[in-house]
Amino acid sequence: MGRKILIIDDEDDIREVAALSLESVAGWETLTAASGAEGIAKAADEQPDAILLDVMMPEMDGPATFQQLRKNPATANIPVLLLTAKVQSHEQRRFAGLGVEAVLLKPFDPLKLSAQIASALGWD
Amino acid sequence: MESPDPCDGVDKAALADAIDCLWRRFLPEILRRVAVLEEAAAAKNITSSRREAAQSAAHKLAGVLGTFGLTRGTVLARELELTFARESAAEPASDTRLIEATRQLRIMIENRPSAS
Repeated sequence: MGRKILIIDDEDDIREVAALSLESVAGWETLTAASGAEGIAKAADEQPDAILLDVMMPEMDGPATFQQLRKNPATANIPVLLLTAKVQSHEQRRFAGLGVEAVLLKPFDPLKLSAQIASALGWD
Repeated sequence: MESPDPCDGVDKAALADAIDCLWRRFLPEILRRVAVLEEAAAAKNITSSRREAAQSAAHKLAGVLGTFGLTRGTVLARELELTFARESAAEPASDTRLIEATRQLRIMIENRPSAS
């Protein structure tokens, strides 16, 4: 089934590889945003099926972006998966406690990223 | 019964070619991050701003190198991130290790094998 995923990450390389991966492996449509503010606007306009959200970003980080997405009725019900290079277990527990659907780790395998997202969201 | 391979039907060669293309495009930025680490590792009296820049560069490298197949690069970058995160980093005993780790990282990146 076709899906539309919004990737919010300030790092160009991660955004591009994630988009390539989801489009090539799963055939999903992707949208990208380089900041939390841009991502919030695109989420409201485009209504993606899920959002892949980087944790460490300047200005508005991932958790702050997530809180704004949840506050806005237009984006409150869009599933959000955090993407982080923070590997320590206490950090992952903190992120999971925010209420996101899943916490995925960087680096990701381009061949497996779509399967990780589908599994986390029950899209199998 | 095994679940179906999600990659069945994926043109892996085309994906690998595309990943190689992205690697070439982003290599200058990746090497710029390595240079930030090298400068911090070589500094005798590292400032807090340089330490933070090095920590950030290492964090970004740790997050991306494995995606391009450089798993060992991610391990090295994580080691550097943790070292620069410590306030007492860059003591004489750790300087040598920092310089060696950044040297290894550069060699690894400059010699990344093609994914295809």
